[in-house]
Amino acid sequence: MARKRPLYGLMAEFETPEQLLAAVRRTREAGYREIDAFSPFPIENLGEAIGFHRTRLPVLVFIGGLLGCSGGFFLQWWPNVIGFPINVGGKPWNSWPAFIPITFELTILCAALTTFFGMLALNGLPTPYHPVFNVERFEVCSRDRFFLVIKARDRRYDVVTTREFLEGLNPSRVMEVES
Amino acid sequence: MNGNGSGQPNLDRVGRLALGVGVAALILCALEWRANPTQFFRSYLLGYMLWLAVALGSFGIVMLHHQVNGKWGYLLRRPLEAAAQTVWTLMVWLFIPFFFGLPRLYSWAQPATVAGEALPPFKSAYLSVPFWVGRTIGYFAAWVIFIYLLNRWSWRQDEQGDDDRRWLGKMKKLSAAGLVLYGFTVTFAVVDWIMSLEPQFFSTIYGMIYIVLPALAAMALATIVVRLLARYDPVSNVITPLDFNDFGNLLLVFVMLWAYLSFDQFLIIWAGNLQDEIPWYTSRAAGGWGAVALVLVLFHFAVPFVLLLSRDVKRRMTALSAVAALLLVMTWVDLFWLIVPAFHPAVPSLHWMDIVAPIGIGGLWVWRFTSQLKQRPFLPLHDPRFEGVYGHGE
Amino acid sequence: MPVGIEPQDLELAPGHNYGTVTDKISDIVLKEGTGKWWKAGFAVAIALLIVFHYGVVLLMTYGVGVWGVNIPVAWGFAITNFVWWIGIGHAGTLISAFLLLMRQRWRTSINRFAEAMTIFAVACAGMFPLLHLGRPWLFYWLFPYPDTMGTWPQFRSPLVWDVFAVSTYLTVSILFWYLGLIPDFGTMRDKAKSRAVKIVYGILSWGWRGSAIHWERYEMAGLLLAGISTPLVVSVHTVVSFDFTIAIVPGWHSTIFPPYFVAGAIYSGFAMVLTLAIPLRRWYHLEDFVTLKHLDNMAKLMLATGMIVTYAYVMETFMAFYSGNPYDRYMMLNRFFGPYAAVFWTLIGCNLIAPQALWFRRVRRSPWLLFVDALIIQTGMWLERFVIIVLSLHRDYLPSAWGMYYPTKVDWEVFLGTIGLFLTLFYLFVRLLPMISMSELRHLVHKTQAEEVKA
Repeated sequence: MARKRPLYGLMAEFETPEQLLAAVRRTREAGYREIDAFSPFPIENLGEAIGFHRTRLPVLVFIGGLLGCSGGFFLQWWPNVIGFPINVGGKPWNSWPAFIPITFELTILCAALTTFFGMLALNGLPTPYHPVFNVERFEVCSRDRFFLVIKARDRRYDVVTTREFLEGLNPSRVMEVES
Repeated sequence: MNGNGSGQPNLDRVGRLALGVGVAALILCALEWRANPTQFFRSYLLGYMLWLAVALGSFGIVMLHHQVNGKWGYLLRRPLEAAAQTVWTLMVWLFIPFFFGLPRLYSWAQPATVAGEALPPFKSAYLSVPFWVGRTIGYFAAWVIFIYLLNRWSWRQDEQGDDDRRWLGKMKKLSAAGLVLYGFTVTFAVVDWIMSLEPQFFSTIYGMIYIVLPALAAMALATIVVRLLARYDPVSNVITPLDFNDFGNLLLVFVMLWAYLSFDQFLIIWAGNLQDEIPWYTSRAAGGWGAVALVLVLFHFAVPFVLLLSRDVKRRMTALSAVAALLLVMTWVDLFWLIVPAFHPAVPSLHWMDIVAPIGIGGLWVWRFTSQLKQRPFLPLHDPRFEGVYGHGE
Repeated sequence: MPVGIEPQDLELAPGHNYGTVTDKISDIVLKEGTGKWWKAGFAVAIALLIVFHYGVVLLMTYGVGVWGVNIPVAWGFAITNFVWWIGIGHAGTLISAFLLLMRQRWRTSINRFAEAMTIFAVACAGMFPLLHLGRPWLFYWLFPYPDTMGTWPQFRSPLVWDVFAVSTYLTVSILFWYLGLIPDFGTMRDKAKSRAVKIVYGILSWGWRGSAIHWERYEMAGLLLAGISTPLVVSVHTVVSFDFTIAIVPGWHSTIFPPYFVAGAIYSGFAMVLTLAIPLRRWYHLEDFVTLKHLDNMAKLMLATGMIVTYAYVMETFMAFYSGNPYDRYMMLNRFFGPYAAVFWTLIGCNLIAPQALWFRRVRRSPWLLFVDALIIQTGMWLERFVIIVLSLHRDYLPSAWGMYYPTKVDWEVFLGTIGLFLTLFYLFVRLLPMISMSELRHLVHKTQAEEVKA
């Protein structure tokens, strides 16, 4: 089969999460930085092994919640105090106890929307096209196999030596990923 | 395993010191009794309720632990059990003075009220002195029986062989029934002892708020105690920052529950604005008492809430203990705000005994607590749920 | 395995690996097709859905007068059903959020369909306030938007709070549910044989590929949403209870309502989860995943929340007399001995007496007994809302304004119809989506194996 496009990288398949984690650690030690690991469920310490540190998501969510909270209170305070004050049941214009439920709900709503869409945005999802799916075998990644990819754009990447390196990690197989 | 996990805490010295402080403070109050008996009983009630809250809350959390398991309860169990035991080694006896001061505290116990501005028939029968005394004896009897059995079986568990689940099963069953009993007795007890200070007031959520408040106080105290014990064997071998994270989360849950229930009561009464209920808040949420309420909102909810959200605070033992200490102080402020406006509805009034009486009772309490605590290993032996944990550090 | 744990205490039957759990769950959708149980059930659901449409058409044609509502009982069946449905949803969020925070592993195999139950229950609940508006097409008046008159919703009214609470709840529940589904859609995409099916699940998965960094953020998002949803679920039924307590009607204006409603909601919700889980695990042979331990734990939670509800009844009754307020006392006597006394005592039987069976382990561990008890409790919780609404409204302060409420045929049609709506959605869910989270099951397999290695 003639290859039309350059390679995205090389992919190694492993049987267990422990093997994948060990392989990732050795790959990092060997100096590779442009790598990615794929698994059918989250594996503890894998992100850290790959060189990923704390996600910014909680900070974003906190900001989202804060906006919802202040916006929610303003939404009620402004019409009742400035925009269109009406005496209802003799309650004060700024009836803050009565404004708390909606303030709370909007805090929650904004924080939740930030969580969900923040996670997607940081992850770059939706991703309509991704090279790893060119590997037919990759379909078991969502079932029971674990994959390591060294991308071709890594500085240490070399078709021959990288392949040898991956073979040395004791994978069940090594495959090429077309971009 | 920590390197410094050697030696044992000198609980005897702590106990003696606490006893000395407690007796001295109570003597001061007793001297004032002659001059100002009414104020004595008011302050004594405040101090008594504070320490009873810690003792009863501990009882509740031990039973909760037996239902839901979790390593946190294994680490806290001994301090909690020792604290619960003070209900019958101390608090029962300290209740006796109230029987001599009922008319000074409760308007319904004064002959003039019974004859004059009559309470509605059900209430005047319910809040009659003999019935009230009978109920009080009933609450204590129930608590003493349950606390005694739980402690005894826990003791038996220490002595038993490894794979014996018998005592655990007994404690689990007793706790299930005990939690139901706890809910009802604590509720009716606070209605009798605190809510009836203002006999016209009623609120159906009241008891629930004061089921949560003791749990919060007890959890705070137990966190501090375990932090102190964490310097010594065997706790130092077993405890990790993750455990403090769990303690912090439990404190967070109780803080949120307290705030939630208190706000519910406030919002509903504020919106209803009915003459039976609203005076309770017009004194407590306005003017000087309003400032106390604001202190509660800030330091019994907002500040601890934000601090307890942070993982860094929860995983540092000392930082978490500081938050717990703040919450204990706030328990006193909360009870102050709850009890004293019944006597001084217009402006806040802080008598020196409001501080000295809690210290006096607290001194005796700490003395009883430490002498209980030192009698047994700081971690339960042979709890089949946590065999692995205990062996871990050896 | 920790010492002393017996096989019936496991969250997952032994002998499973990543592949088997994935295949078992995905095959239900992709391979097994529609079985006879599914077809029969779906037919019933569709029949009830038609009844719902019939009732709604009558309602739209003639107005809310076709219901039994009147003055003084203006809320009747509609709000009873609303509170009942929305309460049922609460157990789903509690399982997915609170139990996640508490690191309770047994949530894994029940959270997906419990969350689905939440969303469908909230959808059914939403029908009633909308239809009760009388002119449902003007529902957007409830939202704050700068209209030409310069007016705003009455923000001091709990009914407006409810709009925010319920719509937030629905949104966040859908987000949480979808978040859990993303990796599973990836699995479905990879396992599907037909190209069209692959494309549909592929789009739904948004290109999920299981990258380690994605998992990190994904897990963080799950934890955050759990932390956000737990207070949310408490707030929703709290706001529902404010619909009553903010008013000063005897029987409504009671401070214990918020925690009592929340406990009652979880109570009925767990009853509904059991009602769904027990037949599902049998029809689809999921006994390995939804074990007796799951049923036992849910039964215990049901008992605990049932006891809180009991506590609330006792406090309400006690304070009605203790308060010395003649209206409160009459409200309580009217419940005991008034024209609806039979309803009240049935409620006591269903909600207070029936759950006492759950103290016994044998009942908690026999699925069919539990199933019956769960149905009784759901009936009881429906009656409870009926008692709160109808019995408080029909005789309040002024005897000259007293009246009676009787449901009409259309009331029943719309109520039973929403059960059809719920079941229809649920049958479609079971047919089209993986009903247990496969990625979480694989994770559970991993944790269980790691523990076995340790032991």
